[in-house]
Amino acid sequence: MKGNTKDLHWCTSCLTMSTRPRITFDEGGRCNACVWAEKKKTLDWGARQKELERLLDKHRLEDGRVDCLVPVSGGKDGSYVAYNLKHKYGMNPLAVTVTPALSLELGDRNLRAFVESGYNHISINPAHKAMQALNKVGFIEMGFPYYGWLIAIHTAVARAAVGFGIGLVFYGEDGEVEYGGSTETSKNPIYDVAYQKKVYLEGGHEKVLAASGLSEADLYFFRFPGEDELHGRRIELTHWSYFENWDPYRNYLVAKEHCGMMEAEDSNAGTFTNFSQNDQALYALHTYLMYLKFGFGRANQDACIEVRRGAMDRAQAVNLVRLYDGHYPEEFIELYLEYYQMTRAEFDAVLDRYVDRDLFEKVDGRWTPKFIVT
Amino acid sequence: MLKKRLIFTLLYSQGQFTLSRNFRLQKVGNLKWLQTNYGFSYISFFIDELIVLDVTRGERDVQAFQDTLKSLTEGCFVPIAAGGGVRTVEHARALLRSGADKVVINTPLYDDANFVHALASEFGQQCVVASMDIKRLPDGAYRPCSDRGAICDAGSAAQWIERIAGYPIGELYLNSIERDGTGQGYDMKLLDLLPAGMPKPVILAGGVGNSTHLAEGLADARVDAVATAHLFNFIGDGLKKARQSVTAGGIDLPVWNVQQIAQRFQAGGA
Amino acid sequence: MTRSAITIIDYGMGNIWSVLSALRYLKANATVSGDPREIATAQALLLPGVGSFRKAMTALREKQLDQAILEAVQSNGAKILGICLGMQLMGSRGSEDGNTSGLGLVPNPVDIFTAQETEGNKIPHIGFDVVRSAPESRLFRGLPQEADFYFVHSYRMLPGGLPGIAATCRYGVEFLAAYEQGNIFATQFHPEKSQTNGLVLLKNFLGQ
Repeated sequence: MKGNTKDLHWCTSCLTMSTRPRITFDEGGRCNACVWAEKKKTLDWGARQKELERLLDKHRLEDGRVDCLVPVSGGKDGSYVAYNLKHKYGMNPLAVTVTPALSLELGDRNLRAFVESGYNHISINPAHKAMQALNKVGFIEMGFPYYGWLIAIHTAVARAAVGFGIGLVFYGEDGEVEYGGSTETSKNPIYDVAYQKKVYLEGGHEKVLAASGLSEADLYFFRFPGEDELHGRRIELTHWSYFENWDPYRNYLVAKEHCGMMEAEDSNAGTFTNFSQNDQALYALHTYLMYLKFGFGRANQDACIEVRRGAMDRAQAVNLVRLYDGHYPEEFIELYLEYYQMTRAEFDAVLDRYVDRDLFEKVDGRWTPKFIVT
Repeated sequence: MLKKRLIFTLLYSQGQFTLSRNFRLQKVGNLKWLQTNYGFSYISFFIDELIVLDVTRGERDVQAFQDTLKSLTEGCFVPIAAGGGVRTVEHARALLRSGADKVVINTPLYDDANFVHALASEFGQQCVVASMDIKRLPDGAYRPCSDRGAICDAGSAAQWIERIAGYPIGELYLNSIERDGTGQGYDMKLLDLLPAGMPKPVILAGGVGNSTHLAEGLADARVDAVATAHLFNFIGDGLKKARQSVTAGGIDLPVWNVQQIAQRFQAGGA
Repeated sequence: MTRSAITIIDYGMGNIWSVLSALRYLKANATVSGDPREIATAQALLLPGVGSFRKAMTALREKQLDQAILEAVQSNGAKILGICLGMQLMGSRGSEDGNTSGLGLVPNPVDIFTAQETEGNKIPHIGFDVVRSAPESRLFRGLPQEADFYFVHSYRMLPGGLPGIAATCRYGVEFLAAYEQGNIFATQFHPEKSQTNGLVLLKNFLGQ
């Protein structure tokens, strides 16, 4: 039986690991995501709803022009937000997709189904060369395999807001609050570009752009609009999860019912669910790297969501995570190597850079956990 | 005193066992996976009954299902019900010879009552499990659906249940389409659809995520057995713990001494 | 140690596979046969059964298995275990679909549960129920005196006047759950469907 090292521990309520950046635990050993989940039950959502209505009233145009922007991928979360804005609150959302690299067929179908269920929508395809270069740099230098896309879903979205004269952007969930991390925005719903740079891009994105050697033209969609482009207008960025109790499973049910969303036929790689993150192949690599860096992957995240919504208890989650977490994305390797123009050896060498060797050891060429989820 | 039962339902589709969410299927693993990673032979000692349904959409490979059933049921010493697309006596017979004790029928309940009688006449009514998938409409009305949830009858579920309860069936399996696979718990309101003095045992299904849901179902006097098809939530020692938890809460499930297996039989027999 | 030899009687009715599976799990040398010669000369027999008494007796007679069983048990001293309908067929007569005489290895008749005697409980009697066994019973050795077994039947045998009562079960009325007398054994419940309890019981029968 392996012992656990490095003062490693898991939330006593879900399975969030102590290694997660910006995570905190209370005296009972519960992580801030669980504490927040508990608080959400007695939060005055009525007041938040009123705040939402006031915000929407401020921006609503009833003359046919788009009045808010929702980043979507065709998956459950964006679809849920767009659906509510349009059908519950009478807004005219512009749904915006920043096309990911290596998009999956199911994702493409879901996006089409979403659009056809009735939304004004645009896809932004940032300069392909730049996206590829930034993704690769992100993969090698930071262990973020789709770094270019992560930048673009903030920057290109902001550019779209400016371009269409929209002052209100709704992201879905605030990952930091919902899944554990910084709690700055749990009380302040509306934030700005500066916060985005700091937290969601983990700082340093401008340095990466500068070092990339790419032309400004190619980097157009990877830069936030400057003051001269904003003309004094302010873009209000917010998360839907501030105004309504965020429930990924509920989002899935609504997206399924109203936006034509379909699930994958098999479980998704590295987890036991099939209804989320079906849009891009690099997600599996992203979660695998997360696993190597911190010890938790996609199954762990999904299990924590299930536990918090009461669908399973912690002990059940442990069994699932032990079985499914930490899946080496074998099925996508050829795709990745071709995309990054790397050899298998180079690829694995990059992975090796990010492994926390206190947590993993190499056994038969694969990084194997030294810890057991408990 | 008749004990209540904890039933596990396995959903089979084209060689794979699946998880169902509102009747949409997710492949999980084949028989080998079920036996190795899932440890099904061990898990089967913590259930009181097994139901195996061929929920393949499209054409079924009946022989492959029977072969799988036979392998699955070896080493499974509880009652086994099997079904999925059964419309002839011969199909039923083939399932009964492949390890099943009872046959589950669904669509014929609505369009071929004669077949129900023929099954009962040939094999005895206790061999027949009537399975009803119930959909809840937005206005709160309940409708029974057939053909893997694809076709919903315009008539009321309560009336159909009353009629079917009068057929020569052994038990009624009552499944919620809304709750299926959601982990949100049973739709207890389904039980209000039952006629007073329901003459046949009732198995409640659809929505289980954890042992609390199982206990809630079992605590209701109208429920004789609870079923779950949630392939993920009970792996490892999940089912064993669920059973312990339910029993500790005062529910009267059969008592099995699993230690006897390990000691007396696995060690070469004596 | 030699493995116990036992022959499961195949007359076209009953879940042979489950019983075979259980016996094999217990490492018995179990075979299936519908041949009167083989059955007449077997050392140990298992008579399974699911379905109609009348149909079953007709099948046994047509295949001459009734004679074979009686020869094995009464003339050659073979031991026999009847399960569920199998137990009922061993009775004197069954009243399903009009009276049919049984094998007569167990003296009492088989009749249907009445709503009155089950005190309003649902018929058929399906599920796991508590079986109370006699302390000296060979079949139930090693099991608690009250143990759960799986029943699925609408017809029952009452214990009245029987010398070989091994166990009873109460379902409104107290009916015969198991019988043992000399080389003749029978259970109304399905041991092959009763998890660990059933396996212990089958093991006991094999060891007789």
